[in-house]
Amino acid sequence: MSDDRLVRELGGLLFDRALRRVPDDAILALKAARDGESSEIAKKTLNMQLHSAELAAARDTYVCSDAGIPVFLVKLGTQSPIRADFKASLKAGYEDLVARANPPLLCHVTNPLTLERSHTGKGMPIVTFDQESGVDWVEIICSPKALGSGRWAALELFTFPSLAEIEAYVLDVAIKAGGQHCPPVAIGVGIGGTFDYAAKMAKEATLRPLGTPHREPQVAALEARLTKAINGLGYGPMGTGGDTTTLGVHVEWCSGHGFTPIAVAFNCWISRRSRVRIHPGGELEWME
Amino acid sequence: MSHDYDLSLPVDPADLALLKPGDRVYLTGEITSTAGLPTHERLVRELAEGILPPVKLAGGVLFHLGSSLEEIDGRWHLHYVNPTTSTRFNALMPPLIRGYGLRLTGGKGGLSHESAEALAESGGVYLSFPGGAAPVLTDAVEEVVEVAWPEMISHYRIVRMRVKRLGPLTVGIDTHGNSVYDQIDETAKGRRAEILAQLVRDRAGV
Repeated sequence: MSDDRLVRELGGLLFDRALRRVPDDAILALKAARDGESSEIAKKTLNMQLHSAELAAARDTYVCSDAGIPVFLVKLGTQSPIRADFKASLKAGYEDLVARANPPLLCHVTNPLTLERSHTGKGMPIVTFDQESGVDWVEIICSPKALGSGRWAALELFTFPSLAEIEAYVLDVAIKAGGQHCPPVAIGVGIGGTFDYAAKMAKEATLRPLGTPHREPQVAALEARLTKAINGLGYGPMGTGGDTTTLGVHVEWCSGHGFTPIAVAFNCWISRRSRVRIHPGGELEWME
Repeated sequence: MSHDYDLSLPVDPADLALLKPGDRVYLTGEITSTAGLPTHERLVRELAEGILPPVKLAGGVLFHLGSSLEEIDGRWHLHYVNPTTSTRFNALMPPLIRGYGLRLTGGKGGLSHESAEALAESGGVYLSFPGGAAPVLTDAVEEVVEVAWPEMISHYRIVRMRVKRLGPLTVGIDTHGNSVYDQIDETAKGRRAEILAQLVRDRAGV
């Protein structure tokens, strides 16, 4: 199979997989949240969410009706022999899926100028690239993104903010989002860099597996503080009250100038994401 | 202490009056739903123009649920159903609740205070559907009874469905306008100062 053909097949498979399967780390996090909840309503809502995930897996169907828009992140290993037109192949793979999806996908791709909706549209799918030095694989992540959690992301630019200001901003974004993003969710925070890069860091932080603190102890401590702070607000699962609004705040940071963008992004309780690595020779490693 | 209730539709107003925020409800009977913003806009416009809605809404049910439907041999087949974000319709729900005297509405994320006031006038309740529970909710649908405005895309159509024990749904706003969303938001905002003070202590490691 050609590399183009392989990537095309993976485009459809990744999107489909993300819609049907709640990642293992998210299931564990939801179970831990349920077991630790002091609110009876929250416990019941978490049980319902876990039941939905189980049923979707058992019947091989969608967890949520809103497939969102297709978003792919490609990490290219510098030593990988895979040579493909990733953008065109992922687009073709997504369109193959739209044509054959069972059950069918609803039209969620929206023209922002006319509000007309379709399965495809200008710039779809969104594909971004990074390079990984010294490795021989290519990793493709798929993150179908919908309004429920997508609309609450926020970004603001500060000048030489203190940690207190950074934390207060993240807390205020969480208050504004309230219980709207189908909690409990992963929350990604990007600090520093530039306007666009902070948003990318925040988005990618929502895709980090739950239960994986940042490797730098100071940042891990910041994540733990923010997780506790946001859960202290009490919005709870589906916003009807409880101890668990976030399953984990994930922070990524980057040096920058004195102007410091802070971006906050949300996933939904399903933690919709799928990830595959293509090793030399085309062997596949499904990571989630 | 919250309670679980099994309610039959059309709903008895006396049963609705018993519900409190946090109670859980299972519904059996006929419901009406749509997930379309253009649908809500058209309903509001036609209500103002005195045009009857394409399905009976008076004293009834309008949920914010999107349906994936397919017409096979003249019959509507439902692939799946799932809630959408109700707050998208904040500006449109008060006239619809008042205009049709809606007894039941719902979706995910709640509605604004203005809608809670309208529900208190109509004796209506908002029910919170779990987001991402398509398999559970679809199981409860026995039959698609009617599809109005079929020229719209699937999840924008107005769909009447017969359901059996649809739920569990959590009461978000009761017939007195008590809203779990308003209460929780107020609590969260009230806790902000203490949470920020705790962050200072946590940063200092004390």
